[in-house]
Amino acid sequence: MSFFHNILLGFQVASSVENLLFCFIGVLIGTLIGVLPGIGPTTGVAILIPITFGMNATTAIITMCGVYYGAMYGGSTTSILLNVPGESSSVMTTLDGYQMARKGRPGPALGMAALASFIAGTFAVLMLTFIAPPLADFAVSFGPPEYFALTFMGLTLVTSLGGNSPLKGLISGVVGLLVACIGIDAQSGVARFTFGNINLLDGVGFIGMAVGLFAASEVLVNIEEPMQQIFTEAKLNFRSLFPNLQDWKDCFGALWRGSIIGFFIGVLPGAGATIASFLAYAVEKKFSKHPDDFGSGLIEGVAAPEGANNAAAGGAMVSLLTLGIPGSGTTAVMLGALMIHGLRPGPLLFSTNPQFVWGLIASMYIGNVMLVILNMPLISLWVRLLRVPYKVLMPLIITISAVGVFATDNNVFDMWVMFFFGVVGYIMRKMDYPPAPMVLALVLGPMVEMSLRQSLTISHGSLAIFFVRPIAAVLTIVAFASLFAPLIKILWQRYRSGRESTVG
Amino acid sequence: MRKADLITGFVLLALSGFVIWSATQMPASATFGPGPGFLPLWVGVILAFLALLLLATAWRRKATGKDALSPFPGKQALLAITGVLGGLGVYILLIEALGFLADTFLFVAFLMKVVERERWPMTLAVSACTTAGLFLVFQVLLGVTLPSNSLGF
Repeated sequence: MSFFHNILLGFQVASSVENLLFCFIGVLIGTLIGVLPGIGPTTGVAILIPITFGMNATTAIITMCGVYYGAMYGGSTTSILLNVPGESSSVMTTLDGYQMARKGRPGPALGMAALASFIAGTFAVLMLTFIAPPLADFAVSFGPPEYFALTFMGLTLVTSLGGNSPLKGLISGVVGLLVACIGIDAQSGVARFTFGNINLLDGVGFIGMAVGLFAASEVLVNIEEPMQQIFTEAKLNFRSLFPNLQDWKDCFGALWRGSIIGFFIGVLPGAGATIASFLAYAVEKKFSKHPDDFGSGLIEGVAAPEGANNAAAGGAMVSLLTLGIPGSGTTAVMLGALMIHGLRPGPLLFSTNPQFVWGLIASMYIGNVMLVILNMPLISLWVRLLRVPYKVLMPLIITISAVGVFATDNNVFDMWVMFFFGVVGYIMRKMDYPPAPMVLALVLGPMVEMSLRQSLTISHGSLAIFFVRPIAAVLTIVAFASLFAPLIKILWQRYRSGRESTVG
Repeated sequence: MRKADLITGFVLLALSGFVIWSATQMPASATFGPGPGFLPLWVGVILAFLALLLLATAWRRKATGKDALSPFPGKQALLAITGVLGGLGVYILLIEALGFLADTFLFVAFLMKVVERERWPMTLAVSACTTAGLFLVFQVLLGVTLPSNSLGF
């Protein structure tokens, strides 16, 4: 009964004129960001934080969420028509999607991508509705040791799963923790690493850092390789977008497998939509009766990754809302935004701010419907938008970022923070350091430190507290396992290659 | 890439040294439990360890094809990046003196004309539209007070 009560409350909140409007604006901007190469969803959400600053928290987060899953929709369009993935999570879609377009079936590929996103996205929101509350109830009993173990696990998972070099991910996260230490220590009042600068007493501004690391550095990377104008000859009309009955039959398995894989990968902290789409494609290939045809334009090769990346976006909201642990760069930025709005994601959020949580969840149902309506008839319009040259976009992105960062606090110093982290982010991108762990560490840092110090105060300095309490123990062990996973993998490979060479 | 990894390794090592030194200057324990220096100290130690690990792996690694290439771009791209960064730096420096409108217009014009080498009509159109659009969104719709110069705009 309480479930219906909650979801009704949610729809009541989400269907206010203001929330509907901003949900629509959010998914619209999201689709745009997804379609345009050179600007990703994390950048989009980071730039939006200052703009949504003055709104109430629910409306602001509804808008940002709309951008997040809207970008997942939009990313497929360029993958299919131009073989240019708008986001990393739609790389897999290019394999079969572009081949379908070349073989004269761009319509069904685009249609199936939008419909698969809709089906899987709705599935993920449904799962979120049912899984999140019990998980939140379970986590209510957490004390400082559990919180420390949980945030520690979140950090190690993000660092070890994202990027190709776990060591560089770790370095990025550890430097982020150091940045989080800057400012007045909340527990003792001692100023740390402020170098006598009064602007730093309050800590490094999250918005400036996130916008710098994601938006400014993305602009710098894009300037380097001038993007050529890309066009498509594909003729599209509304009727040609609908997949036929045979397509649906082919995709049935891909749709439900992609949804489930995407959702559960999304829930895991650290593994985001990109990994989900890779995995869903691989699984589909394994289940297929004709695996060799993958890559030649099979529609299930479009449905599986597109479904999975949308389901992952929904899954990521589970760990963000119930545990306060973001699963990806985009949700890390959203966590920072939530905190700026005075909401602390975590188990208590469901009981203290039910209108926010359920309003957000309900808006995701509404947003998914809006996206299908927006994408199916308007797809040719989106394609035309690709002709907007990056030259025009670049000054716009950089000035919106700078002014937005200024606008949150009316402080020029925040713009310098953005400038600094723009340069840092550029160097990091060039040298394969993932920026997401750094942002995540800045957001989680104060919580990590507080729960760690509280735990050690409770235990009189003994680290055993993280291993004797059962929940904390499990979380700590998972954290260490993920830290050492790359090492174990290397040792295992050596062991195997050693054995093969002795046998051979 | 190998050289770049070695350099970052040393920079990170120096950073961790500084952090550990600063942390020891802070009170390590408070009346109850660990104090403000506790976390920075350990984070510094971990960072030092990771930096050494990075140095060791980069040192021992056989040079691969990727290592021969510098991760940073050629002269021309570097010039464009310096242009954008320099422009942004000047933009931030001058925003309170010139006011938002004039400063933004000049910055966008600089990006379009000098960095992107657009023609004048395009440059002026984009600069005017961007400035007007941002002013509309932030000042008019969101009610943010953007900096204005002594002449009042």
